[in-house]
Amino acid sequence: MREKRWFPILYMFGVTAFFSSIIIAFATVTRGRVEANAELAFERAVLEIVPGLSGANLSNAEVHPRFADMVEEPTASSGGAYLVKKDGQVVAYALPFSGQGFWAPIGGILGIEPDQRTVTGIAFYEQNETPGLGAEITKPPFRSQFKGKVLASGGKPLGMKRPGGELDDSSVHAVTGATQTSTRLEGIINAALTEWQSKVAREGARS
Amino acid sequence: MTPPGTESQTRKIILTGLWRDNPIFKQVLGICSTLAVTNLVLNTVVMCVALVFTVALSSASVSLLRSVTPRNIRMMVETLIIAFYVIIVDILLKAYWPEMSANLGPYVGLIITNCIVMGRCEAFGNSNPPARAFLDGAFSALGYSFILLIIATFREVLGMGTFAGLAVPFFSGPAWDKWIIMVMPPGAFFMLAVVIWVFRSIQIRLEAKTK
Repeated sequence: MREKRWFPILYMFGVTAFFSSIIIAFATVTRGRVEANAELAFERAVLEIVPGLSGANLSNAEVHPRFADMVEEPTASSGGAYLVKKDGQVVAYALPFSGQGFWAPIGGILGIEPDQRTVTGIAFYEQNETPGLGAEITKPPFRSQFKGKVLASGGKPLGMKRPGGELDDSSVHAVTGATQTSTRLEGIINAALTEWQSKVAREGARS
Repeated sequence: MTPPGTESQTRKIILTGLWRDNPIFKQVLGICSTLAVTNLVLNTVVMCVALVFTVALSSASVSLLRSVTPRNIRMMVETLIIAFYVIIVDILLKAYWPEMSANLGPYVGLIITNCIVMGRCEAFGNSNPPARAFLDGAFSALGYSFILLIIATFREVLGMGTFAGLAVPFFSGPAWDKWIIMVMPPGAFFMLAVVIWVFRSIQIRLEAKTK
């Protein structure tokens, strides 16, 4: 049988089916955990943009109760952003954004103050950019630039300038050596912000 | 029931993987990941464990199937087997250690393309029994691992003043001006070059002595 011409094809099919089924079984068994981890990362990212709360220092067990306590699902008037409340008062909008990065999807949260213009911070719950280069977007030196920035009303709400370039109130420095990640991230954030701004403006005009 | 000569053969496999044909300083294989993951000791350890697991098991699996696998499609089968073990590692990390999975980013997936894995399957797994292939894979990967750990230790201590996240006396203090470049990509090139230089010098000297 091994001399037959079709044997390699049949063999390859057999081997592939065997190994794939093990992986599928394995992935099914661990799916629950993987999803729980992703949800935890998302909730932590929302809490990280809350001013005066160091969401990054919360333990895994603290994240969910705190999230359930402070965060409300998006409403029509929030334009798709989660509402972070303290004592019944909105303290921040948590706007989720996601899109294709250089290697894999990037997902994050941009925090905006109740004035709907000032940025409170940025956090990421999903990314798979190059460690040491694109993945630097998740590190404090890059993220801390966003706090206090003001969304521009025309054109791009937030700009990314090349490292060392001159900055204004609504721009931050891109990550050195990660042009692709930076450009794509800028696009993702601005797409989400533009949509959010127009939704909020529409709601504002209606009420 | 060990046949005569087996002990010396095992010894030979171990020595070849760790020293004589060390994947890093002798064969200069798997350099991409060497440069990428060695800025922190903890990342390096996880990467090395993943590699030992992948190389040993895929070489053994290739060896198990070697008598039935048609010669002309053996590379496809090898790639499939390697990918299988790498995906298992990736799923395990995602489910049980998501922070580490995030730290290593795409590099876990890139173990598939690490030349050491395919190299051992082709050079050894294909023509040796499974137990020996497992041993050869494990020790080649360990040869890779110990060099990576040396590089990572120097990079993290000099660049961040820490070892596996723990502060190192003197280096974490104000007296030490941290060499940030060591944890950046160029630092990996400097350290790799120095390590290859040092180990090759030692090797050449030892060989000259035994002659």
